[in-house]
Amino acid sequence: MNALLTSAVAGLTAGGTYALLGVCAVFTYRLVAVVNFTGAAIGTAGTFVLIALFEAGFPIWPSVLAGIAAGTATGVAVGYVMTRWFGEASASTKAAVTVALLVGLIAVGLRLTGGQHPHNMPELFPGSAFRLAGVEVTIASVLTIGLAVLFTILSDLFLNRTKIGLNLRALADRPMAAELLGVRVQLLSLLVWGMTGAFTTFALMIIAPQRSPNFMTLSLLVVPALAAALIGVFRSFWWTLAGGIALGIVEGLASSIDSVSQYRSAIPFLVVLAVLLWSQREARWDEAR
Amino acid sequence: MSRLVVSNLSINRAELPVVTSVDLVAESGAISVVLGANGAGKTTLLEGLSGIIPVAGGTIAIDGRELQKARPGARSREGLAHVEQGRTVFRQLTTEENLRVSLHPGADIAEAYALFPELVQRRAVKASLLSGGEQQMLVIARALLTRPKVLLIDEMSAGLAPVIVTRLMTAVRKLADDGLAVVLVEQFAALALSIGNRAYVMRRGRVVHDGDCARLRQSPDELHRLYLGGAESAVPA
Repeated sequence: MNALLTSAVAGLTAGGTYALLGVCAVFTYRLVAVVNFTGAAIGTAGTFVLIALFEAGFPIWPSVLAGIAAGTATGVAVGYVMTRWFGEASASTKAAVTVALLVGLIAVGLRLTGGQHPHNMPELFPGSAFRLAGVEVTIASVLTIGLAVLFTILSDLFLNRTKIGLNLRALADRPMAAELLGVRVQLLSLLVWGMTGAFTTFALMIIAPQRSPNFMTLSLLVVPALAAALIGVFRSFWWTLAGGIALGIVEGLASSIDSVSQYRSAIPFLVVLAVLLWSQREARWDEAR
Repeated sequence: MSRLVVSNLSINRAELPVVTSVDLVAESGAISVVLGANGAGKTTLLEGLSGIIPVAGGTIAIDGRELQKARPGARSREGLAHVEQGRTVFRQLTTEENLRVSLHPGADIAEAYALFPELVQRRAVKASLLSGGEQQMLVIARALLTRPKVLLIDEMSAGLAPVIVTRLMTAVRKLADDGLAVVLVEQFAALALSIGNRAYVMRRGRVVHDGDCARLRQSPDELHRLYLGGAESAVPA
């Protein structure tokens, strides 16, 4: 029993990251109507700037800031491509473009970071925060979940209480109508891409030491992130948050069961499949009638 | 006094000319009515003026400032407002939130409610739940809050009951009387001519008539000919 609890708690760090990446995916989808497959790759780019600077002997916290700035810039660059050339494209076209950009980012990232070459990733927040039922809960777990909750609350407040948030909601609904009213559509879109880039980068910096920190592995964290976003039906920040954390816990539990631990990376795919089937149940029912 | 001057304007869609060599003027206090059969190029003309689609040639100027290369947002900030056809409310926002999106410095939401008091009691209702007439009022009121010099309105009567259309036409006339320059694209020719000052009739992307609204209203046969082809009369205003 204690082993199971230990495994579940161990999954919290990953869960917090999935939740934050998922909430960022929902934020991007709701405001600029893009299912963004590059989310984790953007954060990975920033994370590897931190690694490069740290390995070159720079102090850690200035390197963290430089990494976040690089993640933000990468997000803005991807956003610029999407708004400049694909602003009026369909949702499926936009999603396909982000898949192409993901492949491009991974290719360039692997080339620049030496592929599978091991890196010295600094642990930003080592140690234990507290004990829960006899199990150590790491500071990294508390931080990633805290960051995900903070981003969720801030997103809600920002969208519902500020003029920029109101303009973003209008932009998400009818981009051209918003632009015709003088809303600075391109600037606001880039703001969304930059904000999600910054938060994603920081989350990946926290989780990277616990994963094999190569460009491909971190970039593909977009899969559980989109699974979490799907649990929130790409609308609800809070359901996405809960979905991401639950996904991490389930993955943690699976790792402690020998017969399923080797398949635990398939869990997000099963969740995606289950949610899609569940969402189609009414159509199936109607068809059957 | 503001003045929109459109000279020799041409607009293509998918490489094909849809609007060709159009000249048009709209002045403060007046309504320029643009008429024509379906496919004449009226909506394309307005979309080119507001920057939704790029122009292939010619100039668009408000008070001498050329805008043909500016993005739609920049044209809005220069005083050009476009009420698109199809009642493009922000569906997930309330009436009041729709108005707040367009609120430019110096504008007051009270002006929108003064123009359309019907919207006051619907201020907290989601725009998607408003009636067609209320949605049309909302998009016109929303455009007003951008502090425009020139207001382009496309097919505002489509799908609305005659009593609502009359209500909207009265409001548009009031906006012109208050000093706005209005360009009104409309299918209901008689109603539009009754509130307009200057009439343009388009056929196959060209202006085939430019004249006084009152004169054209008194000559339904001529209007009919202009719509369907045959006698082309470029009557100077």
